[in-house]
Amino acid sequence: MTVPAPHNLPVEPNRFIGRERDVSELGALVRAERVITLSGVGGIGKTRLSLRVAAQARPWFADGVWLVELARVGDPALVVNEVAGVLGVRDELPGRLLDGLRLRLRDASTLILLDNCEHLVERCAELVAQLIAECPRLRFLLTSREPLRIQGELVWRVPPLELPDERHPDAESVLLFVERALAAGARAVTEHMPDVVRLCRALDGLPLALELAAARTGLLSPGRIADRIGDRFALLTTGHRTAPARQRTLLATVEWSHDLLTPKERVLLRRLSVFAGVFDLGLAERVCADGGILRRAELLDLLAGLVDKSLVLHQGGAGRYRLLETIRQYAADRLEEVGEVARLRDRHLRVVCEEMERCYEGGSLEPRMPWPARLAHFIRGRTLLDDCRAAIDWAVASRDAVTGLRLARAALAILAVRGDLGESVGWHERLLALDLAKVPDDVVAVAAAALAYGLELADELERAEELIVQGVEEQKRHPYTHWLGISYGVALTVFFRTGRTERALRYMEELEAAASAHDDPFNLATARIARLNLALFQGRLRQARRHGEEALALGRQAGHHWTQARALTHLGAVAEAAGDLETALSCHADALPLLEGMDNRVELARCHAQLGRVAAGLGDRAAARKHVAAGLELSRKAGQRRGVMRALSALSALAQAQGDLEGRCWPGPPPPRCASRSGRSARRGGCGSC
Amino acid sequence: MDERIVMVDSGTGLKLTEEQLDERSAVATVQLRRRGVRSGDTVLICLRVGPDLLVSTNAVIAAGGVVWPLPPDLDTATLRDRIHESGARVMISDVRQALDAAEESRVRIVMSVADLNGSCPSWAPPT
Repeated sequence: MTVPAPHNLPVEPNRFIGRERDVSELGALVRAERVITLSGVGGIGKTRLSLRVAAQARPWFADGVWLVELARVGDPALVVNEVAGVLGVRDELPGRLLDGLRLRLRDASTLILLDNCEHLVERCAELVAQLIAECPRLRFLLTSREPLRIQGELVWRVPPLELPDERHPDAESVLLFVERALAAGARAVTEHMPDVVRLCRALDGLPLALELAAARTGLLSPGRIADRIGDRFALLTTGHRTAPARQRTLLATVEWSHDLLTPKERVLLRRLSVFAGVFDLGLAERVCADGGILRRAELLDLLAGLVDKSLVLHQGGAGRYRLLETIRQYAADRLEEVGEVARLRDRHLRVVCEEMERCYEGGSLEPRMPWPARLAHFIRGRTLLDDCRAAIDWAVASRDAVTGLRLARAALAILAVRGDLGESVGWHERLLALDLAKVPDDVVAVAAAALAYGLELADELERAEELIVQGVEEQKRHPYTHWLGISYGVALTVFFRTGRTERALRYMEELEAAASAHDDPFNLATARIARLNLALFQGRLRQARRHGEEALALGRQAGHHWTQARALTHLGAVAEAAGDLETALSCHADALPLLEGMDNRVELARCHAQLGRVAAGLGDRAAARKHVAAGLELSRKAGQRRGVMRALSALSALAQAQGDLEGRCWPGPPPPRCASRSGRSARRGGCGSC
Repeated sequence: MDERIVMVDSGTGLKLTEEQLDERSAVATVQLRRRGVRSGDTVLICLRVGPDLLVSTNAVIAAGGVVWPLPPDLDTATLRDRIHESGARVMISDVRQALDAAEESRVRIVMSVADLNGSCPSWAPPT
């Protein structure tokens, strides 16, 4: 309880009202039970209650309290990705994320809040049951309209807010309504208390219904609202006549609120339903404005109007917005009703693609650019990933292979910098399975290479080889691009790894020629690092160092921290092989902050392990232990088994150096240093990916 | 061993000894408390007449609660009214109609007889 535990819970948008006893009881239950599901209809306040409980439970979970929002996840197979993404677990090998999660959570005292599970109940049930069985200190709090029905699940039914009666005129529902009405500027609301009581009863104490009604008290008195919503029940237009009463109440209120919107606001609200989660004004303008019904210039005002009516949430005030899930579903139904889904999804795909390409180009294509300017593009690209997933789903569903592949490759560039491109394998596989007849050859060729890139990392060398040869050879028929440079990098890695040095060398020379001719320092550095690896492997250390220094100089000129970090870690390896441990230490130490800044945890963990080994060689055991421990922690947190193994073997070497054979973690002799390093270096040098 | 019989289930002929009653009631009381039942809370019990009903009643009283029994043969509408009237947060029942009737109520937790016996996995608190 001394160090504040990490979490990703959002700031509460306004005051939380009522449910005091529920919050305190759930606070105790969350510590006693493994799985609690808050169930109830949409709009009853499950999410808000769960966030409250989770926030108060923070002191009890040393390894954090993590919110995973599942509303935007359409494909059950991606539940694991979403959880892994939130927990910072990186895809060591594509398809092995679950394994990474297990590793991350095995000994962690963690609370995971899975919000909006109802459309993924089966997959959530499997995943929760699996993780609970293997991770003894892990606990789940879920919100779902339906329970998971797994063993040990405590289903906690969220009731509406308390309704007023003679003895309690100030019940929770009244307090919430009055608070929100006052916030909406309706000062006179307290003068109509009997009407407020009537309205709260009509709305059955449903928090979302109360919020929507309160947002309109600036224009309508509580009595008028109660009358109108009463009429609504009689003429619910969207079916569900047999639905439970609470659901009908909510629907009636949402419908009523929707019908009070201006026609333009209605158009905007339904169009906003295509966003996967949080969006900003710029994206909303580009996706939703059409120059006809909705003009760009009026979008900000319309959006502000929807925020005032509590239909859109202004997230954290940073110009970022989102829709509550219940509202998003209603809006999506309206979009479907007017037949605008395909048009809007197409536009969403196109806009997200253009924006992702802008991020990729901004971060990667300029040969020389200061790092902060590059990083800003990469960070912006990361915020688009949720929309990217939704857009790629649409590209597959609508068979738009060209736009889908353009988006997937741009996103791959963003993911690679952070060291986790596992997810992109699935994207490319699905998109390449579409009819490619109308897709330009060079786009297909880059996609093949991008898929090979991911497969190589997953050690699927045979498939990678076939694809990368196809990818490089086709791209050579077209003008040089940065992608061709990257493809060469993948190709030479694949051929080095499969022991066909001749072919690898040929690709390396072609890459050098092409990257020099087209002023592409990023890929030229890749070629230099490949040369370094080869020289190191053959024991020509002086040449190896020269190649590394050239790569480092290229990285510095380009302002690319990734290139610099790769060059430095390889120079460190060369220095270590030459027995110059001081230089090795300073090389790795210089790379460390660069990798930290990129949030590339996989390479960062490796860098710590290398530092630990070098420090041990220098006899600085304290520093060695510190680095190995940091690397181990990072790898564990990112769910990287290879990283954990590396750290354990380093610990073992360390213990041996100290003569502390009892403390060795490795059964048997430490792995041969030289062989393992050069083996890895050969991989790493190729594409700069690992 | 003098086993005092405190109840005979006329349906099954099964007998409940005093020791069994005490033991099961104690376990059930702990389970009720773990789920937040406090002194003065109303707890609905909708079970057929038999040992489980006796144990549940005992446990609710021991937890300081107020027993609000519901005959299981009531129709759903009446059950719903009674559940609503009780204002209870917890209900003990395995009866289908009662579970349905609790759907749109203010009952937070429905406990089965198995839950009361602690036979669902009871997990260790975080260390």
